[in-house]
Amino acid sequence: MVAVVGAVLLATGVVLAVLEPIFAGRSAPLYDEDSGAAEAKARRRVALVALRELEYDRATGKLDSADYEVLRAELAHNALAHLALAGGEEEADEDAELEAEIAEMRRALEAGLQCGACEHVNRFGARYCGECGVALADL
Amino acid sequence: MTALGEAALWIALPIALWGTVASFAGGRLGRGQLVASGERSVHVVTALLVLVSAGIVAAFLGNRYEYLYVVSYSNRELDPYFKFAGLWAGQRGSLVFWTLLLSVFSSIAVFRNRLRNREFMPYVSGTLLGILAFLLVVLLFADVNPFERLGFTRINGLGLNPQLQNYWMTIHPPTLYLGFTAFAVPFAFAVSALLTGRLDSRWIAVTRRWILLSWFFLTCGIIFGMRWAYEELGWGGYWFWDPVENASLLPWLTATAFLHSIQIQEHRGMLKVWNMALVTLTFLLTIFATFLTRSGLIESVHSFAENLRIAYIFLGFMCAMAILAALLIVHRLPSLRPDNQIRSFLSRESAFLFNNLLLLGITFAVAWGTLFPLITEGLLGETRNVGPPYFNRVNIPVGLLLLTLMGVGPIIAWRKASARNLKRNFALPLLAGVVALGVLLLMGVRHGMALATFAIGAFVLATVVAEFWRGTRARARISGEGVLRAVGGLVRRNRRRWGGYVVHAGVAVVFMGIAGAAFDRRVVQELEPGEAMTVTSALGGVYRLVYESLSHSRPRVAEDVRENDWRWTALVTAYRDGEQIGVLRPERRFYPVMDQSSTEVGISSSALEDLYVIPREVDVDTERASFEVKVLPLVPWIWVGGLVIAVGGLVALWPPSAGPQLRPVRRWSP
Repeated sequence: MVAVVGAVLLATGVVLAVLEPIFAGRSAPLYDEDSGAAEAKARRRVALVALRELEYDRATGKLDSADYEVLRAELAHNALAHLALAGGEEEADEDAELEAEIAEMRRALEAGLQCGACEHVNRFGARYCGECGVALADL
Repeated sequence: MTALGEAALWIALPIALWGTVASFAGGRLGRGQLVASGERSVHVVTALLVLVSAGIVAAFLGNRYEYLYVVSYSNRELDPYFKFAGLWAGQRGSLVFWTLLLSVFSSIAVFRNRLRNREFMPYVSGTLLGILAFLLVVLLFADVNPFERLGFTRINGLGLNPQLQNYWMTIHPPTLYLGFTAFAVPFAFAVSALLTGRLDSRWIAVTRRWILLSWFFLTCGIIFGMRWAYEELGWGGYWFWDPVENASLLPWLTATAFLHSIQIQEHRGMLKVWNMALVTLTFLLTIFATFLTRSGLIESVHSFAENLRIAYIFLGFMCAMAILAALLIVHRLPSLRPDNQIRSFLSRESAFLFNNLLLLGITFAVAWGTLFPLITEGLLGETRNVGPPYFNRVNIPVGLLLLTLMGVGPIIAWRKASARNLKRNFALPLLAGVVALGVLLLMGVRHGMALATFAIGAFVLATVVAEFWRGTRARARISGEGVLRAVGGLVRRNRRRWGGYVVHAGVAVVFMGIAGAAFDRRVVQELEPGEAMTVTSALGGVYRLVYESLSHSRPRVAEDVRENDWRWTALVTAYRDGEQIGVLRPERRFYPVMDQSSTEVGISSSALEDLYVIPREVDVDTERASFEVKVLPLVPWIWVGGLVIAVGGLVALWPPSAGPQLRPVRRWSP
């Protein structure tokens, strides 16, 4: 008897809990606040992470210059395509950080800190490669 | 409590069905209230399943022998610890436990996405509730209700299988089930992506951590299972290609393939259809694993009387899911076109693709071997089994190829590897492999497969070390950090990459540990107390074992079955090269209620090998005993490798710490 009463009470409570949003008119959001931006942000982030990997592969000598240029153009295009749409506060910091990081990497590479002969990445201000001794300005 | 649990099981089904309908309808019609009701249903079903599980545990702890399930897997003498584990000791309870874990993961997924990824969520909760409803239907209507009553109350239960009375019982099954069930979440997101047409990488980005979580638990579960078999089954092995073991390996293989192929989609926008197919396949294999393990399908081959209704229900569900997913993928085919093409055979994309093909090849070979008895039964009318020789012959060479790719993948370039890239990155690791091969040949090792495994293993380890070294050096140079800080920074920046490399190193170590089996030594001898036996290891050590004495804890009165088990314990002192290395206590146990005996082996581990002592027969009156002694080289490496894999998995899984890292960086770091 106690069991039957318990079961009935349980069933009633459960049904009320499940139907409450309908009776109370409580609605779950169907879209993210700015769904286009969220999607663009996700895509842009994927492209940025890929860019970082690319710069890393270049810095550790896994990619040669020609391939690096092609891939970078492709990824940068992807990232930029979604740049205008992306917004929001929450992840902006993280993206900014990522971008700053990539920009810094690129600057290091462009400033000739990576030796063109042995692909070793040198300290800021270095004039000769720490690995093979080639003068960096020459390359 | 138990009655309430039974009621909760019946109530959960209509709620799950309502939630499924409400979620899909809410998503389709754009009715937020229905979606909210559907999401509420997920949490309510979870709460009800907690009650169901509590009901079963209460029945076990309260010795309620009017329930068939409790009678089948417990008795009064059983340790409460194992009574608790009764929840997953048999088919009925395991299905409840599986359903419970799935509902908990579903609740977490719904809760975490209450404010984001909303377009996906109606279909995600709908899919998850649909799976839950299916499992509840099975529990209630397929003769596996855990609350089935006998119609009378027995005085005592039949007891728990002795092999399960081991502490691994409380660790291994839950871990594996966590891995199986966590994969339902990525699957639900994939279905949702297909239904909503949002087919870019977003569903992968959202579920990446779930995929890793599932993979992590599966890996740990499998390794725990190996350790359990090694300690408890008492034959000196850790893997026997048993259907149940294979069942857990299958989703692991496809999940591993998936973890790699999603990176190609993220980086190069390729393999979109393949990834959809893999996520579906992995999910189906987690269901298949549960059903194979718990339906009695393969066992039924040996005992024809088994009720196979549940097998057909599961098979029907799997087929329905496969067809549904295939239709959805075909429907969305135009949106799933690749953004790029593979440019060169020598590129990371193609390395990943080969890795996928090899993993799928092993999956197919293992599935074929596992189902072979069923297939031959169906086609020829007679059952034929394939044993470990089949699995080893097929999987060892493919496994070695896979191991090679594990070294190649991380150091080869995306898109197209240049000759300079190959020379620069491969010279050192290749040298390490060749040196390892040379040293082993000089040491007199002539076993082909073992030599190949060690050489390739050394190559993989060298690639991982070289990658860490290069990354650390580049970071240290540019940021001016010390080596340790640079390694930390490196890993923090890209946990998935570096965690993955650690996993590769762990797998290489496990492979080498397994290759040690080529050098196992075994001696069987009968001894009287005071006598000794010797075994020589393949690595040169001489083991001497002295059988000191036998003690037993058999009750005075033989009919007294109040004891769970009777034990005969041999005291064996072990020496290596004359030096005492330990005192072992291998045991024979008899479980009177089950009328079964079991063996507890004695293991003495060193860094390079295990001494493994199995008591085979014991004469209680004369105290004569026969021992099987094995020296198993490199087995400890398997556990060490497993630990390394787990650490790597955790590194990849660890959430990025918020706070200090979010400051804009001054210097780049890879």
